[in-house]
Amino acid sequence: MSEATTQQHGNITLREERVLPSGEREFMLDVRTSDLEVNMGPQHPATHGVMRILIRTDGELVTGAQPHLGYLHRCAEKIGENVEWLQYLPYTDRYDYLAAMNNNLGYSMAVEALMPMEIPRRAEMIRVICAELNRIGSHLIMFGTYGMDLGAFTPFLYAFREREWMMALFEKICGARLTYSYIRIGGVFNDAPPGWLQEVEHFCDVFEEKHKEYVDLLMLNHIFVKRTAHVGVIRPDLGLDFGLTGPMLRASGIDFDLRRDMPYSVYGEMAAEGAFRVVTGRGEKGTLGDCWDRFYVRVMEMIESIKIVRWCLANIEDGPVIGDVPKVLKVPPGEAYVGIENPRGELGHYVVSDGGKVAKRCRVRGPSFCNLAVLEAIMPGTLLADSIAIIGSTDVVIGETDR
Amino acid sequence: MDFKGIHDRLRALSAPGLIGADEPRRPDPADKKDKGRYGVAFVRVEAARIVEFLTLCRDDERLAFDLLVDLTATDPAADDENLWVGYQLLSTTQHQRLAIKVTLPKAEPAIESAAAVHRAAQWHERECAEMFGITFLNHPDPRNILLPDDWVGHPLRKDYVFPKEYRGISCE
Repeated sequence: MSEATTQQHGNITLREERVLPSGEREFMLDVRTSDLEVNMGPQHPATHGVMRILIRTDGELVTGAQPHLGYLHRCAEKIGENVEWLQYLPYTDRYDYLAAMNNNLGYSMAVEALMPMEIPRRAEMIRVICAELNRIGSHLIMFGTYGMDLGAFTPFLYAFREREWMMALFEKICGARLTYSYIRIGGVFNDAPPGWLQEVEHFCDVFEEKHKEYVDLLMLNHIFVKRTAHVGVIRPDLGLDFGLTGPMLRASGIDFDLRRDMPYSVYGEMAAEGAFRVVTGRGEKGTLGDCWDRFYVRVMEMIESIKIVRWCLANIEDGPVIGDVPKVLKVPPGEAYVGIENPRGELGHYVVSDGGKVAKRCRVRGPSFCNLAVLEAIMPGTLLADSIAIIGSTDVVIGETDR
Repeated sequence: MDFKGIHDRLRALSAPGLIGADEPRRPDPADKKDKGRYGVAFVRVEAARIVEFLTLCRDDERLAFDLLVDLTATDPAADDENLWVGYQLLSTTQHQRLAIKVTLPKAEPAIESAAAVHRAAQWHERECAEMFGITFLNHPDPRNILLPDDWVGHPLRKDYVFPKEYRGISCE
């Protein structure tokens, strides 16, 4: 750290903060004028949906940020109390529409927790393959749109090229491209068509090569690193206090992943074999828990998902794909909370049954909802130009915050 | 620790407000009407001491519940006198979960806000307040979160009557 110097340009003060090893000097801007409230959204492209953030600014400095939600509130929880257990499944597709397979899995597992039933092993394998492919697709969206938020359009097209293939794979297995309703209570809807598993393997081979392009093209890009390193830092204790989960928490250096540490489905077996590792932020390019770390965790997680898919492909056996589930499902009385690792964090379903055909309560704990709350704490004190980088790095899906 | 271990630890610490455990059980074969109770075990806690209880769960080194994953309410039935408030805790170091249930009278549901222990509670409590009409005492920011500020009624109550219109827009 060198001796601080300041430069004055009109009412803009530049205060030298530090000199980088390359000899470059970094300045802190101080351009205070008067308080101004800026309404960002509800239809701002960088909010990735319909959300409004009321930003209080003083010159170029953000002094406060208040997210306003509810523009996409579709009463999912009330609907859950009014339709039958099996009929609710398509609604789960619609909260985090980028990870519908994971939502199906979370809801199905919550209902299965109330029912003494066995899930066929082939179904578990296909479930995990689909959930992980969907995680890759979801992280690809984050990869592409985050670059676009920061002014890099090309990576977005690269990301959508692979995502298109992933969606074509899902189209082959269940007929839908976005809202699948494929993972059902008791198993999966249908067995994989002939040749599908081989194509998934081919996808893995190709994706591993393409992934190197992503790393070079955007993640290690000098301009990108400058825009994201040291920006929007979430300290580990702040992350825990705000109930962050998933990549948001891991980027702050907390080594916790439900798939490894509290395993469900077949994740326990592959975790015991060490088939995949948990990626955590290390503050490699800046400060631990900054925007770059959050981006890094998501990009590297895609490769871990590929490893999980490969493990499943190596261990999958023939057999039935759905257990014995009656057409009109009556769920035994009781209550259960089941949380699974979604691309954005822990997706929790709290279901209460009184033994009937309809749920008494169907609570959805969406990870985006909690991850968004942290904005109020990390936005004050940052530059207005960085606010887009910070909002983008939380990777929220508004369909899930509002449900 | 499994649920039994956590419950024993809570009893050994004489956790404030702990009432007891509710564990799933199979139906009693002798009693035809008994359907059993399935799902996940939870502990019952007195509403008045919930903040002390959550603080203990967070600060004890073997419990170490550092993450409040979820906070929600349930209206079990229209003729039930109580509402349930459920807390879901998670420990990122001990890799364990704990579900907590508190009952509040429907006539005047009020409970201390947990936002001082886990700031994650803040938004969940705002949602609970508007959806169930629960008052969270000493909440730092008690505004509606998903519903408009002038919405009438609490939609997730079982006795909720659907409105015919909102600001001149027909809902039928």
